[in-house]
Amino acid sequence: MRLAFVGKGGAGKSAICGTFCRLLARRGRRVVAVDSDPLPGLAYSLGLAIEYSPPIPPEAVVERAEGETGPRFRLRPDLDPGEAVEAYSVAAPDGVRFLQFGKLSGAADQDLFRPQVAFRHIVAGLPRGRWDVIGDLPGGTRQAFTGWGSWAEAVLVVVEPTAKSLLSGRRLARMVEIEGGPSAVAAVASKVRSDADVAMIAERTGLAVLGAVPWDEDLAEAERRQQAPLDLAPRGAGVRAVASLLDEVLAAGLGGLDAPTTASATASEAP
Amino acid sequence: MKLAVVGKGGSGKTTTSSVIARTLARRGQSVVALDCDSNPNLGISLGIGDLETERLTSMREELDEGNEEHAPTWDTLLTRYGADAPDGVRLAVVSRIENPEPG
Repeated sequence: MRLAFVGKGGAGKSAICGTFCRLLARRGRRVVAVDSDPLPGLAYSLGLAIEYSPPIPPEAVVERAEGETGPRFRLRPDLDPGEAVEAYSVAAPDGVRFLQFGKLSGAADQDLFRPQVAFRHIVAGLPRGRWDVIGDLPGGTRQAFTGWGSWAEAVLVVVEPTAKSLLSGRRLARMVEIEGGPSAVAAVASKVRSDADVAMIAERTGLAVLGAVPWDEDLAEAERRQQAPLDLAPRGAGVRAVASLLDEVLAAGLGGLDAPTTASATASEAP
Repeated sequence: MKLAVVGKGGSGKTTTSSVIARTLARRGQSVVALDCDSNPNLGISLGIGDLETERLTSMREELDEGNEEHAPTWDTLLTRYGADAPDGVRLAVVSRIENPEPG
């Protein structure tokens, strides 16, 4: 499965994505959670305490030598993307691997260019069938329409019932028109208080709503405490809604059907 | 006064900007609101509706795709790519300002 979460900032992408990754891993799948946001978010929702480290080192990328052809920057030739993901990701709860290029620290001389190139090559080059790749894009439309989601076979647009989120969702629905882009785009309703909210999200974005995560004080509290929803409120309404979303995604075969499993696909799903 | 509002997505930048802009305008100031966001929603918070917001956004896309010339001056930019919002605020959805003139 290669699935990216997008949406307006604050809609709940990271909380939903992080919970989705861990629930998927509990079903015995090998999951790499990829975070292309230069600001922190997904790590907290996975239950990782890290903020700014560790980034992918710039040395992972080499510049084309004079006289060579091809792209100017590429992954170091001895780095296989499948091995690089092991080397540069960190272990998150439930066996999820977490991969990021690094976070903006605020330092004036900080340059994330090479880490970002490395990140994109690693994600694009991951061998099919070994990993489920689940991504969290930054809020808004920029990365979504500039190739940062091109590794994804399906995209889930997280939309809350506000005018700005709905308009952003309608813009993001056009990702399906990108050449070489995702083959499927669907919506996840977030922070909804009623069936009418869900219906409005379907109508105003023009997308099928694959899951509906209710307004949940536990999710808000997890954000305040910098904790994973799955650790703070494993039986809360928000977590249960993400579990239902996962069922829908798997039943629909969204994001590709290959189902990599770990050797230790055990009964760890039982809470 | 030249004021920029920044912050994480969803934290309330656009709402804050729109209230500041309209409050200043109500106090008699001449106010220009610039939406520099790659996902521009300021029009919605100012109260011009999503159709007009999308009209401004698509004009910027034409600029970004090179189908339109960038405005040579502030006045042209606001006339050509702007829209009137409530309380007399003038809104423009902009990409980048080249050769900014002082003032």
